Amino acid sequence: MSRRSAGVVALIGGLLLAPRPARADGGVGRMVHEIRSAVQHLAGAPIAPAQHPRGRSPAPQPIAAGGPTIDLSDLSHPVALEASLRGPAALTGPSLKLTIPDGQARLGDFSIGSDQALQGHLLVIRGNADVYGRLLGNLVTLDGDVTVHPGGTVSGDVLALRGEVHDAGGEIGGEVRTLSAATPVPATEARPALSAGRQVFQNLAGVVGVLLTVTALGFGLVTFGRHNLEIVSDTVIHSFGRAFVSGLLGQMLLLPTFGMLVVGLILSVAGVLLLPFAVVVYVLLVVGGIVGGFLAVAHAMGETYVRRRLALGAMGSPNSYRYVLLGMTTPAVLWLAWAVFGWVPVAGDLIRGAALLVTWLLATAGFGAALLSRAGIRHNFAGRLIPPEALTDEYLWATPQFGVPAAQRPGGTRTPPSRR
Amino acid sequence: MHCAPICVAVATVGLLTGVARTDAYAQTMRSFGTARQLHGETRLVARVDFGAGSLRLAPADDRTLYRMRVSYDEGRYAPVGRYADSHVTLGLASAGGKVLRVSTGQPVRQTADVQLSRRVELALDVTLGAVEGAIELGGMRLREVRLELGASRTTVRFSSPNRAPCERADFSAGAAELSIYGLGNSRCSTIRYAGGVGTVTLDFGGEWAADARAEVRMALGQLHLRLPKGVGVRLRMDRFLASFDPAGLVRRGDAYLSPGYAQATHHLDLDLSTTIGGVTIAWLP
Repeated sequence: MSRRSAGVVALIGGLLLAPRPARADGGVGRMVHEIRSAVQHLAGAPIAPAQHPRGRSPAPQPIAAGGPTIDLSDLSHPVALEASLRGPAALTGPSLKLTIPDGQARLGDFSIGSDQALQGHLLVIRGNADVYGRLLGNLVTLDGDVTVHPGGTVSGDVLALRGEVHDAGGEIGGEVRTLSAATPVPATEARPALSAGRQVFQNLAGVVGVLLTVTALGFGLVTFGRHNLEIVSDTVIHSFGRAFVSGLLGQMLLLPTFGMLVVGLILSVAGVLLLPFAVVVYVLLVVGGIVGGFLAVAHAMGETYVRRRLALGAMGSPNSYRYVLLGMTTPAVLWLAWAVFGWVPVAGDLIRGAALLVTWLLATAGFGAALLSRAGIRHNFAGRLIPPEALTDEYLWATPQFGVPAAQRPGGTRTPPSRR
Repeated sequence: MHCAPICVAVATVGLLTGVARTDAYAQTMRSFGTARQLHGETRLVARVDFGAGSLRLAPADDRTLYRMRVSYDEGRYAPVGRYADSHVTLGLASAGGKVLRVSTGQPVRQTADVQLSRRVELALDVTLGAVEGAIELGGMRLREVRLELGASRTTVRFSSPNRAPCERADFSAGAAELSIYGLGNSRCSTIRYAGGVGTVTLDFGGEWAADARAEVRMALGQLHLRLPKGVGVRLRMDRFLASFDPAGLVRRGDAYLSPGYAQATHHLDLDLSTTIGGVTIAWLP
């Protein structure tokens, strides 16, 4: 197949896969429907029923017996009955044949006169059923309404598939059921329609608001907890892998830990009193850990960027406010891109997915770093791990070990032997 | 040769258009109706199950035994309308399809409109999931009623007196906001409420015809009691970490009594157990 024909086939495929219009009255619409039905049939998909415009009933006539058997004795499963009727009822002319055990089928409008009594079940396709007399059996219409007029009687059940039942004062001995046609609801209809511009404005407002709030929290953290923030930030820089894995495990253990906390407090009689406070404290700790960790990652990214710029000779003041602000730009750019292009059908979802993924990665690493450093109290993971091979005599001389000055070390010969 | 990029672009656009437009249809809604005329029946045991959406339940006209009209998501639910031996089951059952749906838009809400005869003795059993419900039970011939709520916001009203003696009314809720107005009109001799989390309003107003006993068990949340001044109220309370303002009730031994309890024509004995939250009392004229 040539590329040109492949393109045309793909375009037609797109049109065929697209949902059909509500009604296909016109010739082109009918043709599209027929093609779609054929393609869907070949693909194994259920074929949507042909839409027969109401008010244009075919000429009343009996439907010959001999086709598929439709049992009208049990109408308690209207969806299944409609499915079994859907195929045969779409046929026209002599090819339309149905076998109704203990009953008959009619095409077009049908009326039972006030002096008439009809024995057995009755199926009316593409027409209304008016009952003035007596029907001793069940009554089903497909694409038509049922009206039971005063004095009219239906001894059994009445079912209107894609139609209505009008009780005009008659007697219906059994159950009355109606089942409408299936109506696909476009996803865009499910929520209030917003123009692209309004949606962009709404998304921008939300993103900017969240970014400003998080940045303000970051500045607050720098002002009041710079030491802890820097340790968590250093932990992210020097132990990123461990921080990420710890954050992942921490997220998985959040709920079990909460459950154990609650159960433990309930089981200990005195602990029940602390339960409300413990729940609140736990939630605050988790939120603080995630948000603080995220800000620490932003701080780390900003610091790395600034130090590289300074190393290249750029001028600027290295301070934590700047680090946080610069670090926030990475997630901010992604979310702003989503805010602007989020309305684009496929690309918008991709951008949102990327923004969510990046934000989650940063928050997870930050949460893990906060756990490893105990919210910036422990320094263990915040420095580079120096292997013993790298410890030179000069380093050990200048660096006290275990709090004991090297000059006072017993023996004075604890220097690791050279590996040469 | 010059066609290559254009063909690729056309093919991509065609496929993307098809996929995007096919996925744009998130739900398929249908309407189902079921009804039965009244043909001399004297009693009805009705069960209503509705998982998600909004539900309205009210008395039917004089010719109808029951009627339901429901608009539902065909991919997730199937309508239920069964009647046999004076027992009817109405509502929606799971269609066995995918329960969790990822959609960018809010789903179209399912709705149900249920009507039940006021001319037959009725035993009503209602189970609601994530439902916003409005239930009117006034003027019926309720023999008993049971209402079970999941995560629901539901209002039950007895706007006019029940026309038959009611043995019991059982209400239970998971995380729900439930308001019941006119319990005096229900004429139920026993009223029970068992709730997990949420806000509950129990209004005992209405025309009292006999004494009643109410048991309220609530784990976490707010309980608002609306008590009629003309009825003698005795309140026994077992509470833990729950605030309570007697609001005119007088402590007598292990119970709180309303002023003029002994002289009242009708009495309401209220057993209340709540763990965390608060109990407020308002008096009805």
